[in-house]
Amino acid sequence: MLFRKMRRDLLVSKVQFLSIFLMSLLGIFVFTGLDSECSGMRVNEGRFYEETALADLWAQGIAFRESDIGKAEFIPNIEKAELRLKLNGKARLRGEELDLSTLFLDGNEISKLYLTEGEPYVKGESGVWLDFSFMKRQGLKTGDKLSMKVNGIIFEQEIKGAVYHPEYVYFLPDAAAMMPDYGAYGAAFMDIKAFPDKRHVYYNQMVLDVKDVDNTDGLSDEEKNQCSKAALEVKYALGSDSVIVTDKDSDLSYQTFRAEIEQHSSMTFIFPAVFLLIAILGIITTMTRMTSRQRVQIGTLKALGFTKKTITRHYASYGFFLSLFGGITGAVAGHFTIAEYILSMMDTTYLVPGMGTAFSAKSYLAIAFSVLTSSLVSFMSCRKELAPAPAETLRPAAPKNLKHSLIEKSRLWERLDFAVQWNLRDILRNKVRSLMGVIGVLGCAMLMFGAFACLDTVSFITTWMYGELNTSQFQIIMKEGCPYSTTEEYAKRYRGQMVEQSPAEFEAYGKKKTGTVTVYDTGNFLHFQDKDLKPLKPDEESISMSYKMAQTLGVSEGDLVRWHLVGDNDWKILRIGGIYRNPVSQGITMTRKVFESLRFDFVPTTIYTNHTPQEKLQDDTNITGTQSLPEMMKALDAMKEMMYVMVYIMIAAAAVLGVVVLYNLGVLSLVEKNREMATLKVLGFTTAKIRRILQSQNIWLTLVGIALGIPCGMWLINVLFSTMPESMDYVASYQLLSYIYTITGTLLLSMGVNRLLSRKVKTVDMVDALKGQE
Amino acid sequence: MKPFIEFCHVDRKYRMGENDFFALKDVNLEIYEGEMIVILGPSGAGKSTLLNLLGGMDSPTSGSILFNGHDISRFKDDELTAYRAWNVGVVFQFYNLIPTLTAYENVALMKDVRKNVKRGSVWEAENKDMSLLDPKEALISVGLSEHINQFPSQMSGGEQQRTSIARALAKNPRLLLCDEPTGALDTKTGREVLKLLQDMSREKKHTVVMVTHNSFFADIADRVIRVKNGTIESVEINDSPKDASEVSW
Ligand SMILES: Nc1ncnc2c1ncn2[C@@H]1O[C@H](COP(=O)(O)OP(=O)(O)OP(=O)(O)O)[C@@H](O)[C@H]1O
Ligand SMILES: [Mg+2]
Repeated sequence: MLFRKMRRDLLVSKVQFLSIFLMSLLGIFVFTGLDSECSGMRVNEGRFYEETALADLWAQGIAFRESDIGKAEFIPNIEKAELRLKLNGKARLRGEELDLSTLFLDGNEISKLYLTEGEPYVKGESGVWLDFSFMKRQGLKTGDKLSMKVNGIIFEQEIKGAVYHPEYVYFLPDAAAMMPDYGAYGAAFMDIKAFPDKRHVYYNQMVLDVKDVDNTDGLSDEEKNQCSKAALEVKYALGSDSVIVTDKDSDLSYQTFRAEIEQHSSMTFIFPAVFLLIAILGIITTMTRMTSRQRVQIGTLKALGFTKKTITRHYASYGFFLSLFGGITGAVAGHFTIAEYILSMMDTTYLVPGMGTAFSAKSYLAIAFSVLTSSLVSFMSCRKELAPAPAETLRPAAPKNLKHSLIEKSRLWERLDFAVQWNLRDILRNKVRSLMGVIGVLGCAMLMFGAFACLDTVSFITTWMYGELNTSQFQIIMKEGCPYSTTEEYAKRYRGQMVEQSPAEFEAYGKKKTGTVTVYDTGNFLHFQDKDLKPLKPDEESISMSYKMAQTLGVSEGDLVRWHLVGDNDWKILRIGGIYRNPVSQGITMTRKVFESLRFDFVPTTIYTNHTPQEKLQDDTNITGTQSLPEMMKALDAMKEMMYVMVYIMIAAAAVLGVVVLYNLGVLSLVEKNREMATLKVLGFTTAKIRRILQSQNIWLTLVGIALGIPCGMWLINVLFSTMPESMDYVASYQLLSYIYTITGTLLLSMGVNRLLSRKVKTVDMVDALKGQE
Repeated sequence: MKPFIEFCHVDRKYRMGENDFFALKDVNLEIYEGEMIVILGPSGAGKSTLLNLLGGMDSPTSGSILFNGHDISRFKDDELTAYRAWNVGVVFQFYNLIPTLTAYENVALMKDVRKNVKRGSVWEAENKDMSLLDPKEALISVGLSEHINQFPSQMSGGEQQRTSIARALAKNPRLLLCDEPTGALDTKTGREVLKLLQDMSREKKHTVVMVTHNSFFADIADRVIRVKNGTIESVEINDSPKDASEVSW
């Protein structure tokens, strides 16, 4: 019977309970949506790397011999080693040459090929296996012949199959590319026997499997330790200073994917926390109101002989069932909408076979948490009514504090309009409800402002990068190994600025980070800005470090940092002469003069210019390609798309949140004020006047909520950006329009809800409301 | 004969700011099993307070109340709950039906009451032959066979009152407490309700205590207790109680 009572109670106050249901649904919806996507990536990452036995260490050298395998495997820490030759080649298709990373294998035990189509790789057999997206986009089939070029030699192989490769989860055609565009370039895997220059077969890479290092969930400190110990041993065993041994954390493919997963996983918490918090606030008001309204019923049940336990269980079950069903619905919905959608976007950035969402234990925990808090809140609120003897509870509750507040006693009070007096008194008497209203509006304004600020920031970053930091219209990307004289000639012809961007490793206080060294020759296209985005004059003497890099290393201007270029084991020490800010590339920067004074050769990788490069430049063997400003901006599109999704979720969530909380509280206050309003009506106030009084109260609360919500929105954005990968340094930007949109949007929402509510004022029945006992 | 219920120097006081206000003061009272008792008194005299103490819905501030030898004034909260669940049926002054349950469901709720108190309490043994009445029968006995699927808000005051009585009867309690059970009823239905209560005491030998300020009802009681200003003014024994069908007001 009590269960039936609950069902009917739910129906009677369906709006309030629906809001509890919706809030717990929304909280879990967003949580599971983000978490399922993130766990999906995590699970598939682990599965894929585990199945393909991704290498733990990579040794790069000029020429390894087969005997080196024995030397490496002799090290107790090393399980297995394999040699290979990795070259940048070309695929020749339809008269075009497309970038093709080629890997000549001598075994398939470490970083195995993951076959999706065709026949498996067998050591010593001919044929080529291509990465899946390249095959698809270029319309190639197994059995086709593919013409390729490596080291200047053109040769042909039959396509044996399509594969995924664990070292090619994320890869770019060259150092200048910012975003992957799989299929436009590709990766090819062949046996070393297929290497065209039969007389000069060599190996330039050794992959190693370290004992006690698995492929799930990144590298633990323990594993990291194992790897660096093994790396030292390998270097020693191979007995060459020119050999560089790196681990997974320095691998672009591995590292980028991991960082993405980590970033997503930290985002999983911010949003749902906001929703769960507000859901809980909603439950608190709804349940306390409900139990205080059912005070006499509670007293009756108790008087009839129901135990406290039964009654508390009864009331706790309201919160329990609502949040349980809300949570489950939200989890299922989030899993199949948000998670699927974001993952489908990730699918174009990361090449992992069969990437799918995964429901994680965290989602169950989140549901459990929401159910627990809801039940607890319901439990606590009826506890209060259960404490006194039933004889007490059966009497109507004493009216809440009728004392006059300070304002009411002040002189000012008498001069206030009746509507203002009435509203002020109402707000002060119902502090919790008013606070809830403010918090609801705050949450709404916060999410809305955050969403608009996201858009502002993205557009700001575009102009910042391509309007302020780099003012060139074109960039010419030089091929690796292009002689300096050629580059210089081009620079002169196009009046361009030569810039070298090389990967490097930095170390301070035992922390190591990889980043970029940017060296610029004279010219006027590259500009620098300080921490506060004020223009910096080019520093002719010293080396500057990017703001984000300095932060991750924990250093500041004047500190010493050790660094070396990747591929060069000569560690240098620098004193940070200045700090500059860059959104996408972190590391150090210096003039060519400073660079050369450190006895480095200046090898420009890019020329920035304002002169349109000629068409035929594309065919020049010394040039990788040219890019115009719009093309460079396009590279940011993928990132923007991700942002837009976030923005839509945030705005939709803000609207739902605002409507639900405001409507819920509005109905609450109407019900509470029913008698008062009926009295006002009896006294001769028109419905319109009463409506105006109610509306002005809502507008006050809304304005307070907005005023507090905007700073919270700024905070949210900063928290969000702090979860970005280490290579990104986003500066939040807020445009005037965002303030205007947020304020008008929230006000409109609040007024819309008011309109809905004020219809109810008309239906206030004087006779009914003024009747005595319930 | 040993009294069924005994009040010894019972006080019930409320703090009113600085002073104590005695809703009941030094009440001594004996009630025998199967008696039909009417409590009379003006408004604010303490009638409902007395009834609440009898029903274990409130505890005295001093003094003791013995029910069948058990001192219920010393009972803790859950012991009182068990006491109410097993022994007491209440008809409230304002009916106190659960608005979201139909008449039938309000009465059937009593099945849950017995289910949820701990088994094996002293009361279970004492109430061996006090099995619950069928909710439908209880409703029919108060003449409500037609309205059993209506919600309280769809019933008249008298129908709600009768549902409330049916709910108390369904428990088949040894002690039936009624606060103004006929307050909202017309003479005819009022008389039927009185008849029902009288039958409870005469035929089933249940103890019935009824609060009213209508002195005509005094005629049907075995004993009449008059309360005034929180004290017992008088206790009258009615040698030949009238039959409920004979009273008129
Ligand atoms: N919780 C309480 N706090 C303070 N005073 C109380 C409380 N409950 C009852 N009283 C007072 O105790 C006195 C007796 O109350 P009681 O309800 O027993 O009167 P009653 O005889 O039932 O009157 P009525 O016929 O009007 O129902 C009243 O003066 C009442 O104001
Ligand atoms: Mg009374």
